[in-house]
Amino acid sequence: MKLRRVHDWLWEIPREGGMKVPGRVYSDGMPAPDDPALVQVSNVAFLPGIVKYSLAMPDIHWGYGFPIGGVAAVDAEDGAVSPGGVGYDINCGVRVLSTRLLAAEIRPRVHDVTAQLYRDIPTGVGSSHAIPRLTDAEMDSVLAKGARWAVGRGYAAGSDDLDRCEEGGGLAGADPSAVSERARKRGADQLGTLGSGNHFLEVDSVAEVYDEAVAGAYGLLPGRVAVQIHSGSRGLGYQVCDESLAELTPSMARYGPDYAAIPDPQLACAPVSSPSGRRYLGAMQAAANFAWANRQVMTGLAVRALCHALRISERDLGARLVYDVCHNVAKLEDHLVDGRPRRLLVHRKGATRAFGPGDPRVPAAYRDVGQPVLIPGDMGRYSYVLAGTARAMEETFGSSCHGAGRLMSRHQALKLARGRSIARELADRGIEVISRGKKTLGEEMSEAYKDVARVVGVMASAGISTLVARLEPMGVIKG
Amino acid sequence: MPRGPDGDDEGVRYALPQPYREVPHTADVGVEVEGASPEEALARLVLAFAALLAGGGAVEVEREETVSVDADGDPARAAVTVLRELLFRFATERLIPGACEVRRLDGRGAELSVGFGRWDPVRHAEGTDVKAVTWHATRFERAGAGWRARVLLDI
Repeated sequence: MKLRRVHDWLWEIPREGGMKVPGRVYSDGMPAPDDPALVQVSNVAFLPGIVKYSLAMPDIHWGYGFPIGGVAAVDAEDGAVSPGGVGYDINCGVRVLSTRLLAAEIRPRVHDVTAQLYRDIPTGVGSSHAIPRLTDAEMDSVLAKGARWAVGRGYAAGSDDLDRCEEGGGLAGADPSAVSERARKRGADQLGTLGSGNHFLEVDSVAEVYDEAVAGAYGLLPGRVAVQIHSGSRGLGYQVCDESLAELTPSMARYGPDYAAIPDPQLACAPVSSPSGRRYLGAMQAAANFAWANRQVMTGLAVRALCHALRISERDLGARLVYDVCHNVAKLEDHLVDGRPRRLLVHRKGATRAFGPGDPRVPAAYRDVGQPVLIPGDMGRYSYVLAGTARAMEETFGSSCHGAGRLMSRHQALKLARGRSIARELADRGIEVISRGKKTLGEEMSEAYKDVARVVGVMASAGISTLVARLEPMGVIKG
Repeated sequence: MPRGPDGDDEGVRYALPQPYREVPHTADVGVEVEGASPEEALARLVLAFAALLAGGGAVEVEREETVSVDADGDPARAAVTVLRELLFRFATERLIPGACEVRRLDGRGAELSVGFGRWDPVRHAEGTDVKAVTWHATRFERAGAGWRARVLLDI
């Protein structure tokens, strides 16, 4: 793969063949030219209607079709929507809650807290029944309303949770009728559950603040306890993506030569304005709403678990949602392109919206400082809270990285973990981890991931996001 | 189609475990199998998928069911479509294939007889939570005198 240096933190894949735009990769140093993820950046540049660049964030790694860490904005009228550009776990995302608790006071009781969270929030393969199975009518309401449905049933940290979610915790274009019976069946008993793989719930300490003013605006004070929740739309979102890909993979050539030239079936796409494109968008937006409701229910369950384990009131806990961001989504957004306003469909696959100061789409409480950008790391090191910038609006359609990015395959990680107790190693470093399976801990150990500090460092050096605070885990539950 | 021992039209029934290779992928997992015939390759692909779900634990077959898919003449599409169907059964009913016979694999799709067992949280604790069957880098092709099939699975 040919690469051209744009500046210290940005590399360009020149446009060639069927690419409609160049690729651009944020990285500290030249990316490995044989990295299969770079081929995927180049493949995404084939998408009809793609605008400016096929972008990759510094946590880029090999996905299917799209790389994980990829961003592609297409014209909202003439462009293509790609289910693979959103991914299977539609609106997989992360939220952070702040609390009044002091980390030093909680540390001796972290086992009780972590165990209570593990009891109350189902994790692991096919985890289910955190709350009673949804009826058909309830499912329709969840798919239409997103987090608002859960808040209405008392699952909340504070009174302003919805104001502190990207898009208010719900996408208005959702079409519950486009979500199949099969997708509904997969999701009906999974609301309020964490799932498996890299999903987690963490009790963190605010270990370091880099920008006091912004951290203060976000409610993140040094030495306090924060809670992080990383999960998505569970089986429902997977089924929506699966069915859309199965429909589009054999049929996309009928939309013309640009579609027939798409080099990977996992990049299957349809014109945004076509019946198939519109149906997918309606179903995808409904699945995104399911994911927001899922994280919102877990928020309520986590608040209750913390109060129960620590025998304190919700008032004493003082939990408040800092923000909730999507990692896997395609959204209609207005951006300036070469100085002109354009309506775009921005695919973020393993990337985070990172709108800068002054943007009216940023909640009023954060509008002066930019949107919180929540970047989980691995369970043994740290996570970061960043802020969006004006430069992100200019260069990346207001997007930033989404996490550490895997360094090793799961297979390699398990080989490295053989004969070790990852839970014991973490406990020795003061991190209590409870997981459904021992295998998960091996697959998800720190060494399997890039150092997220390097990833966010690239975004900060490139001016795409600024560092606000670092969170360090004290207690972790995983699937 | 392989013939039964009496030379009739019955296929060959395969049971766990069957040989397969894991294909390296950074975030997820791929499986690759070989077979003397396309039917054997598909049966082994089904059981490689089952082996990942079961994590090496035994699967006691409780019931036999026919699984049919349509797939427009492309065996790779037929293979992905079969696995998508089996994944749906796992996700919603916790059923894992323990045995498989490919009765038909042709230009119209595939028909299999699948012996299902039930997922057990203890026996299959080391199993992989497969969440989707992808189309990326799927292969179903001749390899020497036999056939090779490969899929990447989202986990």
